[in-house]
Amino acid sequence: MRRSPLAPFRNTTGLARWILLAGALITVVFLIMALFAPWLAPYGFDQQKVGGVKFPKLAPPGGDHLFGTNDQFYDVLSRVIWGARTAVEVVSISVVLSVLIGVPLGLISGFVGRWVDRMLVFLMDALYAFPSLLLAIVFSFLLRGPLGGGVVAAALSLTVIYIPQYFRVVRNTTVSAREATYIEAARAIGAKNGTIMGRYLFGNVIQSVPVIGTLNAADAIGTLAALGFLGLGIQPNEASEWGYDLSRALDDAASGIWWTTFFPGMAIVLLITGLTLVGEGLNETVNPSLRKRRLMPVEMPANEPTSYLAEGDAAALGAGAPNFRRRDDEPERHHGDERHRRPAEPGAREDESR
Amino acid sequence: MSAGSGSLPRYIGQRVLLVIPMIWVLLTLTFILLRVAPGDPVSAAVGGKLNEAALDERRAALGLDRPLIVQYLDYLGQVATLNFGKTISDNRPIVDVIRDNGGATLTLTLGAFMIALIIGIPLGLLAGRHRDSARDVVTRIFGVVTYAAPPFFTGLMFVILVAPLGWPTYDIASPMTKFTVEPVTHILLIDTLIAGNFVAFIDVLKHHVLPCFTLGLLLSGVFIRLVRVNLLMTLKGDYVEAARARGIPERYVIRRHAFRNALVPVVTVIGLQVALTLSGAVLTENTFNWPGLGTQLFKYLTARDYAAVQGIVTFFAIVVVVVSLLVDIVTAIIDPRVRY
Amino acid sequence: MIASLAACGGGESSDGNTGGGSKASGEPWILGTTDPVTAVDPAGSYDFGSWNLQYNIFEQLMTIPAGKSDPVGDAAESCDYNDPKTITCKLRSGLKFSNGDELTSSDVKFSLERNIAIADPNGSSVLLGQITDPKTKKLAEGAIETPDDTTVVFHLNAADTTFLKLLSTATTSIVDEDVFPADKLLDDSKVIGSGPFKLSQYKPGEQAVLEANSNYSGDRKAQASQIFVTYFKDPAPLKQAIQSGQVDIAWRTLSPTDLNDLEGKSGVKVIKGEGSEFRYWVFQLQNKAVKEKAVRQAVAQLIDRDAIAKDAYDGTVTPAYSIVPPGFGGQKDSFKEKYGSPNVDAAKKILQDAGVKTPVDLTLGYTPSHYGPNAVDEATELGNQLNESGLFKTKTEDAEWEEYQTLYKQGAYDLFILGWYPDILDADNYLTPFIRDGGFYANHYSNPQVNSMLDKELAETDTNARNDMIGQLQDTVAEDVPLVPSWNGKNVAVASDKMKGVEETLDPTYIFRFWMISKNG
Repeated sequence: MRRSPLAPFRNTTGLARWILLAGALITVVFLIMALFAPWLAPYGFDQQKVGGVKFPKLAPPGGDHLFGTNDQFYDVLSRVIWGARTAVEVVSISVVLSVLIGVPLGLISGFVGRWVDRMLVFLMDALYAFPSLLLAIVFSFLLRGPLGGGVVAAALSLTVIYIPQYFRVVRNTTVSAREATYIEAARAIGAKNGTIMGRYLFGNVIQSVPVIGTLNAADAIGTLAALGFLGLGIQPNEASEWGYDLSRALDDAASGIWWTTFFPGMAIVLLITGLTLVGEGLNETVNPSLRKRRLMPVEMPANEPTSYLAEGDAAALGAGAPNFRRRDDEPERHHGDERHRRPAEPGAREDESR
Repeated sequence: MSAGSGSLPRYIGQRVLLVIPMIWVLLTLTFILLRVAPGDPVSAAVGGKLNEAALDERRAALGLDRPLIVQYLDYLGQVATLNFGKTISDNRPIVDVIRDNGGATLTLTLGAFMIALIIGIPLGLLAGRHRDSARDVVTRIFGVVTYAAPPFFTGLMFVILVAPLGWPTYDIASPMTKFTVEPVTHILLIDTLIAGNFVAFIDVLKHHVLPCFTLGLLLSGVFIRLVRVNLLMTLKGDYVEAARARGIPERYVIRRHAFRNALVPVVTVIGLQVALTLSGAVLTENTFNWPGLGTQLFKYLTARDYAAVQGIVTFFAIVVVVVSLLVDIVTAIIDPRVRY
Repeated sequence: MIASLAACGGGESSDGNTGGGSKASGEPWILGTTDPVTAVDPAGSYDFGSWNLQYNIFEQLMTIPAGKSDPVGDAAESCDYNDPKTITCKLRSGLKFSNGDELTSSDVKFSLERNIAIADPNGSSVLLGQITDPKTKKLAEGAIETPDDTTVVFHLNAADTTFLKLLSTATTSIVDEDVFPADKLLDDSKVIGSGPFKLSQYKPGEQAVLEANSNYSGDRKAQASQIFVTYFKDPAPLKQAIQSGQVDIAWRTLSPTDLNDLEGKSGVKVIKGEGSEFRYWVFQLQNKAVKEKAVRQAVAQLIDRDAIAKDAYDGTVTPAYSIVPPGFGGQKDSFKEKYGSPNVDAAKKILQDAGVKTPVDLTLGYTPSHYGPNAVDEATELGNQLNESGLFKTKTEDAEWEEYQTLYKQGAYDLFILGWYPDILDADNYLTPFIRDGGFYANHYSNPQVNSMLDKELAETDTNARNDMIGQLQDTVAEDVPLVPSWNGKNVAVASDKMKGVEETLDPTYIFRFWMISKNG
């Protein structure tokens, strides 16, 4: 299989574009389901009867209920469609919140350095190293009291997990960009710290956020479902949530009832797949700066004061932490000095094509 | 990195020293989170049965009325002396919990790793070898999908498919096996062999299939990705080019030079997957009623059994930290560039 | 396979008494359950799983025979009230523990004294309040006298006609004073009792093996030489195990879906007995919305218990029309008598007469994490019933169990769901804990008449007079409606066709009498 020298590049772009497209298509379908759930779904997410007559319990797919009904008299198709709305709501809230908190913190930490940096890095690494599923569970204990078993509580529980990820990426990028020529130049012409951070650094570091955001969103769907599956997520009468429906389906599975498991489960798989493909596609096409930096080996200031936890060890611990769906090829690993640690970092994919 | 000098023992020394504050942070976080979370072991157990005064009496008996800082120092002291104590909710020595249930988690994760490697490596090599072909795309999608499917969904689908055939779908062994096999190593698979009970061994093995596959599939996605990328990189390496230049046939180049080199880093990454595996195990175990540490952790968490949760989390933390430490040291030995 | 099991178990038991085979020769069988065991030591538990092991391993002074509600002698030949505050028990002669130690009145005193002294956080020493010194929290001075080896005399703090029933609970199990420490729990696997079985193997959370105790001389004769108990974490695998024949009996607790599925399967039968589990909705009387009695009565008028039992629980529970479950002396369906069947017009009238503006806003509380996954279905169903009447506008809120307990006491919900299992099988156990000054859930209900009636009822030794008072109390509850009874659980087991004696033991005590059950090959 010999190719022309240019072929791999063109192909990669093509493939990346194709992956992005496929992912986007799936994601858009779910977004449409989320936005138009009231019109698309045949029934309400907690509707049990129509015209005063109760739905059959655990009816197989077909007839009035295309995907069947579950043991709560709910229509599975409607639950799946409304579930998209819940997932999108929870995930957008949590991603937006963690970006809003994580990015500024990372920026400040990386730029200011010294003890602020050290403290923040230590705290974030601790959070990051903590088993994220456990973190989410405990936070859902905490938040469900005051907030109830609804969307907001679930979203906040997830936010806590993802803040450290943005923080790490942004901080590491900031640290390496801080000494870059254009920042030096800005400093030389007398720009204030705030200006440097807001105008120059922010524009630079923010580029990696969409990629992490998408991949985190995929991750968050999984964690949300896991919470629901463990019975700690959103209640069925608050909103439709796929993980909860799967937990109810546990008892059905042994009795040979497949539709209560299959449909909500496939919804989870498809949406996560879609988001992952978008994230990967974005990573390869939209973000050339990432790839470029990857080729330049050392941007890390040699005597970076934040030392151990901030860099190498944090990576080891972070990657080593028990974390459901931690991605080992998250783009954050492309930053800083971490890439030297493992010569064949998965994140370095496609590098060789240039 | 500040550790500018690069002597190996020094690097290892630094890494080992760092383990302690990291575990300390984890312990502290666990402690704080548990205490901040509503409820306590007493209200979890008998909250619906007794009035407030009786509940308070029981809290006092457990020392839960002491100032938090005292309880915290007490707890750190226990950990420092490796005295994990007993669970609050069912009075079991925590070391026993870890020993009795750790075995099940161990065989589950090892089995899952084997399956992940068996699926992941050939598929990764296939994808990397035929880059951008249909095979590559299909394999990559397969990797993404298996990674996207939550273990509890994969597991439930397996149960639905396999349960009608009479294949065991829950637990680590049938009740018979559990009653007949004497615990020696507390790893049931090995204990059945020690007992020389072949029927029991097969029974336990059969019970392993679904959970290991479920968790293995989740992990295989990671390996597919990893192997593929590594192969692509090694195929660009100088020595591969050199081999090609010498006129060695492409098939031979790939099999002889690229494959092997692409697989070496996988070994180190396996270590890093311990983390993902452990939390994947929590969900897998809950789906299959696997008597491992994951189910225990969740059980004690809902019982607000401070002692048990702290003990198990400490154990997890130590495992994770030690494994990543070992990986780092191994990597450092193999590749001197790591020691900055 | 079973044969090899039995052989193996027999081998393990060789350290103890090997003569057991002559008495109990029945085939071994396997019980599967999801009830966890907190502790096998009677001083360390207050839950079904532990108590059931203890009923089979230990003797109590009294025991409740299957299907009956009044206790008869167990280790005691007889126990009788000298007066409402004094009880004398005569032990059977020649009682022995499974290790050969003599069982005397001193063991009885030791068992109760240590239970109170240990006051384990998971224990049930709180039930022994009648013989506990309220100040020192120790056994009250002179509360138990042992004039000779076979006589025990109890002096109670206050008149209590339910104490004999208490002496039949596992909390009063008699332990060997030469084996058990006086100030702390004994390791689970080391317990020694005098009951029909002894514990020969125990792995916490996994399994227990019981074998017939050859030193046992009482009426609870073991049918099987060995019994294996295997503990499940979830109903689903338990269901699979009974269906595939891996366990012979599945008892507590299968999900409604599973029970329905098993109902039609061949080889197993679903057996339902009378239960005493009780689920009810409590009004938080300090909340404005339900302060008005008419509002509470309207809810009692509207609730459709049949629909809840059928739709939320697949008919595995029985609608409850009184706070005292059927089968207890003095029980009457007061709510049915007063309100009849669900009726919107009647409810409307109650509210109009009291001048209450409709719709009334109501917050329903439930917890998804303590009463099983169906609690949410019940809450949803009740909410819908109230809403559909047009008289109420409800919203349902939930909290995880821990937080829920705080929230309902604080008044976060107007109406909230709780469950109850009785400690002792006496109507009073459904009255005093609930309606005396707000009950243990502190709902601020207080009625001096009720309180004095409760005192009288507890001291009354004449059964008919007492039943009368209990009936009146139930009527008062139906009038005041501090809480609305919802349903009573059944005691359900699934057993293979080969099992005998299961049906008989399924009674409201929830004592699973291993000794009565046998397996025919």
